Amino acid sequence: MLIGKKITKKYHGTEILKGVDIEIEPGKITSLIGPSGGGKTTLLRVLSMLDLPESGSITLDGEKYNFPLKINNITPPWPRVSVVFQQLFLWPHLTLRENILLPLRGSVDKKHITELIEILQMKEFIDRYPNQVSLGQRQRVALARALALNPEYLLLDEITSALDIEQVNIILNHLQILRDKGVGILIVTHLLNFAQRASDNIIFLDEGKVIETGGKEILEKPRHERIKKFLSIVKAAT
Amino acid sequence: MSILDIIITYREGLLAGLLVTLKLCLIIWSSGIFIGTILGYLGSKHHKEIGTPSRFISFGLSGIPVLILLFWLHYPLQALLKININPFFTAAFAFSLLNIFSVADLVRSTLANFPAQYNLAAKVCGLSQKETFFKIELPIIFRQIIPSLLNLQVTMLQLTLFASLISVEEIFRVAQRINAIIYKPIEVYTTLAIFFLIICLPLNGLALWLKNKYTRDISEN
Repeated sequence: MLIGKKITKKYHGTEILKGVDIEIEPGKITSLIGPSGGGKTTLLRVLSMLDLPESGSITLDGEKYNFPLKINNITPPWPRVSVVFQQLFLWPHLTLRENILLPLRGSVDKKHITELIEILQMKEFIDRYPNQVSLGQRQRVALARALALNPEYLLLDEITSALDIEQVNIILNHLQILRDKGVGILIVTHLLNFAQRASDNIIFLDEGKVIETGGKEILEKPRHERIKKFLSIVKAAT
Repeated sequence: MSILDIIITYREGLLAGLLVTLKLCLIIWSSGIFIGTILGYLGSKHHKEIGTPSRFISFGLSGIPVLILLFWLHYPLQALLKININPFFTAAFAFSLLNIFSVADLVRSTLANFPAQYNLAAKVCGLSQKETFFKIELPIIFRQIIPSLLNLQVTMLQLTLFASLISVEEIFRVAQRINAIIYKPIEVYTTLAIFFLIICLPLNGLALWLKNKYTRDISEN
């Protein structure tokens, strides 16, 4: 279990996270939704310990870190905890295939890689460079790079933003397979439909605070006024 | 006397001059690339102790004409120190100094602008710092820097012409002497241009080829 308790995080003196509690359970998909600037990406970076919080604690499968702590006092959790960023960050000097293979350091499970290439429909363009393919194709490669490492926890930041419905469905199906294999998944998304279909748990985050947490009913029958307002805006826009 | 006649008649002098120019270049290129790269790397890691002083010196050097730097080092400085150094070494030192700080600037600015997100991606993929440096940072920096570095070395080659002004027997000085004998400035300096083209064009071509082959859009996100 990946647990964050009373997490606070500041950037340039502004408090972005204000005492957030969150739990990512193995074998569950948790969606993090909320308005832009609400702290979703920051929470994802803090949970993956790429950025350390000012206070609070993070527990990864029983190993607890109470903050403030220096980076040297932390056992790097990557790639056990893997992150796919919204901006993808594929290495531009490597082909897409090399992007996936490099972190494996030669210990390549060819069957697994071939499966990933097939499942995410990347066969046609896998030997091209990142700047030679579309954003949607890059998104699938970034996801494949993380999946090739067999993470126990997978944190995904808006990874479906450039995908069409068919591709979103492919990724959704694969995430559900991973969930069934026991991977704990956190998805930051603005696609409410995707969140509703994919998630076991949903967390609504606004202004650095968890406003409501629960199952899919949050999207169907929200209790909190802030969520009702957010959902109505999103529905009106889509 | 045609260009071909000049080349045939004065081949020994021209070759000797060319050899001096190439020796000068080898010193300038090797010291500049080797020391400049180390200085640039250290400058990017230790801003206060190395980066800022190096930038300050580089800024100062860029404002001083090469000719004045050469004269300073050759005449007043040596008179002041009461020493007499072979002009070849004075020229080699002056141009190496320029090349070292220019290369250091290039390396430092490339490292400073290196997109941090690639390191972040390497981190979450579990790559060590060493792996990240050798497999991610270095190849990307190499690809970015090589065309500019080669162009800089071509410029340094062309600057060696100024060495003739402190009596270094390089190819330009040889050409001046030949011209003083036969007074055929167009033919003599065209011959000189041909020699420089023979050296510079492959370097420029290599820079262009490397640029086309390796420079990729790194704003891929």
